Amino acid sequence: MSYEYIKFGQEEKEFIKKIEEISGQNIYSCYQCGKCSAGCPFSSKMDLTVNQLINHIQMGQKEKVLQANTHWICASCLTCTIRCPREIDVAALMEAVREYILREEPEKVKIADIPKDVLEKLPNIALVGSFRKMTG
Amino acid sequence: MVNYSYFPGCNLKTNAKGFEKSAIAVSKKLEAELVEIPNWNCCGTVHTMTADNLMKRIAPVRVLARSRKHVEELENSSQDIVTLCSMCNSTLKIVNSEVLVDPEKLEVINFQLEDDEETYSSDMEVKHFLEILRDNIGFAKIANKVVKPLKGFKVTPYYGCMLLHPEEAKIDDEEMPSVLENLIESLGAEVVFSPLFKYCCGSYHIVSDEDIVTRQVQKIIDSAMIRGANALAVACPLCAYNLDQQQKMLMEKTGKKEAIPIFYFSQLMALAMGEPVEINHFEDHKIDPRILLKELKFK
Repeated sequence: MSYEYIKFGQEEKEFIKKIEEISGQNIYSCYQCGKCSAGCPFSSKMDLTVNQLINHIQMGQKEKVLQANTHWICASCLTCTIRCPREIDVAALMEAVREYILREEPEKVKIADIPKDVLEKLPNIALVGSFRKMTG
Repeated sequence: MVNYSYFPGCNLKTNAKGFEKSAIAVSKKLEAELVEIPNWNCCGTVHTMTADNLMKRIAPVRVLARSRKHVEELENSSQDIVTLCSMCNSTLKIVNSEVLVDPEKLEVINFQLEDDEETYSSDMEVKHFLEILRDNIGFAKIANKVVKPLKGFKVTPYYGCMLLHPEEAKIDDEEMPSVLENLIESLGAEVVFSPLFKYCCGSYHIVSDEDIVTRQVQKIIDSAMIRGANALAVACPLCAYNLDQQQKMLMEKTGKKEAIPIFYFSQLMALAMGEPVEINHFEDHKIDPRILLKELKFK
């Protein structure tokens, strides 16, 4: 069994505060039951499950949170939000992590890189949705 | 005849024309006409879940304000704004409830809309057309208008996420909905239940990560087909696009032979109520529903 040293200083506290501010959620409401991850239709595509990501936010482990793909894979279907026994808007936490990144680096999806024929084929509902979620 | 202020949203004018035309046609037949708001704008498609950003809430509030004005001009109308697209429905409903409980938010947004004299006062109600069909018209009246029962249609209702999530926007019970089932039955078709009735199709990931969508679509379609469905009924233009397009892609890529057509619920209604088949714009579908109509000898 290995142990991990967790630093919990000013930087970590600020990260947690920012995520709480953007999402409007109390991150410590989560008691790690894992119901969000169990019901998530995209869990198998995520490198960290939803509750693991939340646990890292609770611990202020910013690097681990930002490196994960969890919040990018999340498609905001809100299955987790309606099922959370602690009534946390889990999807809003995923959105908060996305926003945290996009406010610094606003182009997760580079519109200019999408081929013209793909842009023309796709419905506007997909394009607007994607750009609202993946660009700042 | 009741008139409803109707908000189409972007897709009903482009790749979901059949959804809009069939819905308007049946709305006239049911004496609950959908009348388009003359000067609408995009609602933003996806609702923002950030607590500290009002910018992304201005567009939907503007839609609500314009609909409010439209209602005043309409004869015999209610204080409802009706949508067909489930994403518009959810975005408008969420923002409408947010500004209702937080008048301060509304005040700031209204400040942005003042110059255009388009301020809003939280007095509209957002309804999905399915809610109008269930609550205001009733399935008995719909069944009465059926002239060509959909015999042989085995339809799996697929709700997608946004008709049932979140709490503020849901049109039915989030885990055991029945509105699409009741509608399909009233049209004379058979309902085929699939447990993946609200399993997310992958949504906007179609733009940057198509594989996610393909995987979801395969599961949703297999789950319906394995239970004997020959059609899927949807209410969201993005679900429809993903399910239709990715089935075609899978057939081309993997040699998969079977596919099932995706119908908007209003297209099924239009067929059953004897509307001309052209209004459904089946030519826009990748998996052509006319093949099923031919197989079932539906005329």
